[in-house]
Amino acid sequence: MDTRSIIEGIASHDPRIIARAISIIEEDNERSYEIIRAIYGMTGHAHILGITGPPGVGKSTMIGILSRKLTEMGKKVSILAVDASSPFSGGTILGNRIRMQDTLSKYGIYMRSVSNRGMTGGLSRSTWNMVKILDAAGNDFIIIETVGAGQSDIDIVYLADTVIVTLAPGLGDSIQAIKSGMMEIGDIFVINKMDREDSFFALKDIMDNVYERNGWMPRVVGTNSLKGEGYGELIRAIEEHRVFTEKNDGKKKIRYREEVRLALSRIIDRSVWREFGRFLENGEIDGYYDEHVDPNTVAMEIFRENSAFAHSHSVEGRVES
Amino acid sequence: MEAGKNLSSSRPIKVLLAKPAIDGHDRGIFVLARALRDAGMDVIYAGLLPTPEQVVDIAISEDVDVIGLSLLNGAHMTAFKKVVDLLKERGVDDIAVVGGGIIPDDDKPKLEAIGVTGNYGPGTPLPP
Ligand code: B12
Ligand SMILES: Nc1nc2c(ncn2[C@@H]2O[C@H](COP(=O)(O)OP(=O)(O)O)[C@@H](O)[C@H]2O)c(=O)[nH]1
Ligand SMILES: [Mg+2]
Repeated sequence: MDTRSIIEGIASHDPRIIARAISIIEEDNERSYEIIRAIYGMTGHAHILGITGPPGVGKSTMIGILSRKLTEMGKKVSILAVDASSPFSGGTILGNRIRMQDTLSKYGIYMRSVSNRGMTGGLSRSTWNMVKILDAAGNDFIIIETVGAGQSDIDIVYLADTVIVTLAPGLGDSIQAIKSGMMEIGDIFVINKMDREDSFFALKDIMDNVYERNGWMPRVVGTNSLKGEGYGELIRAIEEHRVFTEKNDGKKKIRYREEVRLALSRIIDRSVWREFGRFLENGEIDGYYDEHVDPNTVAMEIFRENSAFAHSHSVEGRVES
Repeated sequence: MEAGKNLSSSRPIKVLLAKPAIDGHDRGIFVLARALRDAGMDVIYAGLLPTPEQVVDIAISEDVDVIGLSLLNGAHMTAFKKVVDLLKERGVDDIAVVGGGIIPDDDKPKLEAIGVTGNYGPGTPLPP
């Protein structure tokens, strides 16, 4: 499919073409940047909801219910759910869909499973541009489920307009650890599984620990996703935060800055990799074995001898005479 | 952020695994999901009891390369065919359909004829 039809398909909200466009974005190459460049003018409408929290607290279940309620309110919603790839094979079992499939089928909501492709931070490198495709496709809300690695899932802070940190009773002592990394990032805190024993203690625990950040006092909401309870309050909290962010120029500039940073780091990675990848992958370093020279010195030698960059700059650790 | 790796401009093969009929035998499909993951693929498990319509919807939304269908309950002739028909109806011609489960030898050529290949049974060896 040519790039022009893809861009037209996105503009006319064609789900088949949106699905294909996201695949191209996932390839993260020149063609994907071309598409983003072309649709960028169509973005900026969607409110991006980030759902994070430890595995098993009910994030996917919650997204199923939330997307249904928002759809019933007349909003157009799409979902991206990120899972971690295997560090050994690079393959991924994408398991979030199963919790929301019934709702997706019934309401025709677009959902895409995403592999983090080995990235830390809770998202994949291409998640950012996938959001742009869905934004250009006329969604009111884009819901993102992060990997769920707890404290290290922090990239969502930059990407989402509203971050919902989901927790559940019964996390035991780990809730303390989680809190230390997560209290700072939530605009809304959800204690899910309110049907469970001790849920009110967990709720109170979080209420006692939230504090105002940049003029926003985080909301704390309890939900029981088995019965769909608490979702009215959750949607109210989301709406309040959406209005708040719009009044305050929102996350747009923060997100923009982060995206430039990510794109620049990718360009740097790629160009360095282009120069040195052969050493790291094709066994070219085997020829450098010398039992009398320490490995760090060898690495610096390789860098100095092969880098156009190193010829014109002093390299860290290099002994200047 | 982790730099350096995963910079290649290609994505792994993406497979949707599904049991498109009332069949609770899910052990095989789980084994298969892990084996394919370990072979470097992206694997979506559609859950127990999706309808053929759901299977096709998911395959399109997720833009998968392959649909793997597994049935041990004898419903493969109707259910696999339904998936193939729906794909055709919706103009999808770039997704491969592979079958497996308890499939009598007599049925295999018939499934092949409608485009369902493989049709692997018990004891199918998996890569280590
Ligand atoms: C374990 C089992 C059960 C367990 C299932 C547990 C579970 N959660 O999976 C329980 C006890 C619940 C069960 C129940 C029933 N079972 Co039962 N069960 C079996 C048994 C003994 C083994 C199945 C198994 O798990 N194998 C291990 C896995 C790893 O292998 P696999 O599923 O074959 O998958 C491999 C390959 O086939 C292949 N493969 C499979 N699918 C696909 C798909 C693709 C795309 C690819 C590439 C490969 C592939 O790759 C896999 C890995 O090698 C089989 C007999 C048999 N030898 O197969 C009967 C069998 C399947 N059951 C049968 C029956 C009739 C039933 C029941 C109706 C009642 C009964 N008589 O026991 C109920 C119905 C359950 C339901 N709700 O659907 C019959 C089916 C008869 C038929 N089709 O004509 C069988 C064949 C036994 C028999 N000979 O009668 N069963
Ligand atoms: N008791 C109870 N279980 C729930 C609730 N919400 C979700 N679950 C269950 O918790 C498990 C994990 O849910 P899932 O949505 O996959 O969690 P995720 O890993 O955070 O995405 C599933 O078995 C759900 O059915 C709830 O409110 N109460
Ligand atoms: Mg999940």
